[in-house]
Amino acid sequence: MSWLESASSIRRRLLLILLAPLTLLLALGVLVDYRNSADLVRSAYDLALANETQAVTAHLRPAADGTVRSDLSPQAVEVLRADNYDQVFYLVTGPEGRFVAGDAGLPVAPAGAENPAFRDATFHDRAIRAATYRMRAGSSDVAVTVAETLHKREYGTRRILSGVLLTDVFQLCATLVLIWFGVRYGLRPLLALRDQIAARSARELTPLDERNVPLEVVSLTQALNRLLAAVRDTAYAQQRFLADAAHQLRTPLAGVQAQLELLANEAAPGETRARLISLHEACRRLAHTANQLLTLARAEPSANFTGDFQSLDLQTLVEEAVAGNLDRALARQIDLGAESMSVRVPCVAWLLREMLANLVDNALVYAATGGRVTVRCGIVENAASPTAFLEVEDDGPGIPEAERGRVTERFYRSAASRGNGCGLGLAIVEDIARLHGAVLEIFPGSANPGTRVRVRFSHAGGAAPRLSA
Amino acid sequence: MRILVVEDDALVADALRRGLAQAGFAVDHLTSAEHAEAALDQEHFDLALVDVGLPGADGLELVRRLRAAGRQLPVLIVTARDGLADRVDALDLGADDYLVKPFALPELVARCRALIRRATSVVSAAMSLGTLHLDLAGRNARVGSRAVDLTRREWAVLECLALHAGQVVGKERLVQAIANWDDEITANAVEVYISRLRSKLGDAIGIRTVRGLGYRLDDVVA
Repeated sequence: MSWLESASSIRRRLLLILLAPLTLLLALGVLVDYRNSADLVRSAYDLALANETQAVTAHLRPAADGTVRSDLSPQAVEVLRADNYDQVFYLVTGPEGRFVAGDAGLPVAPAGAENPAFRDATFHDRAIRAATYRMRAGSSDVAVTVAETLHKREYGTRRILSGVLLTDVFQLCATLVLIWFGVRYGLRPLLALRDQIAARSARELTPLDERNVPLEVVSLTQALNRLLAAVRDTAYAQQRFLADAAHQLRTPLAGVQAQLELLANEAAPGETRARLISLHEACRRLAHTANQLLTLARAEPSANFTGDFQSLDLQTLVEEAVAGNLDRALARQIDLGAESMSVRVPCVAWLLREMLANLVDNALVYAATGGRVTVRCGIVENAASPTAFLEVEDDGPGIPEAERGRVTERFYRSAASRGNGCGLGLAIVEDIARLHGAVLEIFPGSANPGTRVRVRFSHAGGAAPRLSA
Repeated sequence: MRILVVEDDALVADALRRGLAQAGFAVDHLTSAEHAEAALDQEHFDLALVDVGLPGADGLELVRRLRAAGRQLPVLIVTARDGLADRVDALDLGADDYLVKPFALPELVARCRALIRRATSVVSAAMSLGTLHLDLAGRNARVGSRAVDLTRREWAVLECLALHAGQVVGKERLVQAIANWDDEITANAVEVYISRLRSKLGDAIGIRTVRGLGYRLDDVVA
């Protein structure tokens, strides 16, 4: 999982911050529980031991010589020693610790605040717990000690320990699982926001969805949205400026061009007319170059067209391009035709129209007089997935393999270039193709050797393309 | 034929006026939508040539107002903007055609001529393309003074091409034009009617095959 590697993952931090203190707390809990329970067990067994010392005292009789006698019958001793788990010892001592009855040498608990007093000791190499009850029998001091080995006690505390450990460890595990799920679930809105941002293209400038965004990052998304809006406004203003510039340039150019055309027609044949015709041609070229430059600027990858994408049938584009250029083709006896099928792609329509116009323009310039130009659209089937394409083929001199990489450079004009182009046509085509997630491919044509320029889209039909940055 | 030019740029307007006058049109020129609306109220024009970027109400607004007032005269929009939205807006609002500046005068003249011809043929039920004369009501055709005998299907194809002279007409569209008479027509049958029309009309009338698209009856510059 990625959060294990990422040191700054909030999920990991949360888990680490919660995990260590919780584990410590639970360990402490086990210890306290164990001690409390063990104390309880010990006092319960100690009480039983104390009761037995009392029972023994009932069988002590003061003797005439100032000592004490025990009249414990063998049956009574057997009852005293009877225990399923432990061995029980007893000892009765008289004044100055003189032996009266029982197991000689049994350790005696020293007198203390309590009566009976208790002590832990060893007897015959075995750990024991002893209770010693002191009393006066007649005129003499008597101490009754009853002791037992520790099996019962150890068994009891072990049982308690294992019980406490089991429940506490289970509790710890349950808590950890709950925290893990809690952190996961709690971070879900944040992860959803992350996914929302990750799924966007670098050029998408629409605001982030602020609903369902956790309170903690609302100001972050708001800041992002403000930034996006600012970028969007800038991109929009730039596009607006370029559109206005195009408009402001075209109107006077249209006037000059049309006036020169009229003057050339009106002038008497001769030098003036020839000059007017070349002026008109220069003006036409100027208009063309201005148009190309503006198109290039408007097709900049930084321009934000996401909102302008719409599904368009390439077939209508092809038909428009052929019909619109028919007269130009006929003037050079070029057979301009279409081979098209209906295929929709998401695109910015005017950009694609501009792109195709450039391709057809090139083809008509380079095709042989009396030659053939074909505009095609369709679906490439041999690719991994079917993809739409748009292509224009001419039967002109073709583009040498060595130059194919360079022809898309801005202002590059090959040695064999014809017409009065400014060398921006294929650069525009490539820029527009890239904006649509499409690639420009140049092949030789099927005749003479010809040129086939194909724009292959990344998919056929469907939603708007993910624009790469 | 009278054309109203609505254009605020003096140089362009002057060129339009001269170019159209040379092509044989009577031309009036105004510089604002408001003036144009008033002029169209009072006088008859066969076509309005409207620039989009006018001071005050723009050209698109003028088209909208004309159509809202029920005026049917053909409108050709001329604009320096090339955005798709503008083109769609113009045609949606009821403009008949759309030309982007800078333009070549012959193309402008051809478009004006085609728009006027289409509009008048609806009214007069007759149209002429050079030496080809069509009586749309009587469904008969003449080349010069020679009457051409056409079957109903041949007529349907010729009528469809003539009404869209200068434009490429798709085979499918011709199939639909004929299907009014017979439902079982294939695209291949269209080729047969076209070749019969070509031989009946003679070389004077050019029906051009546009490879992969359809056919075009060449517009004739008078």
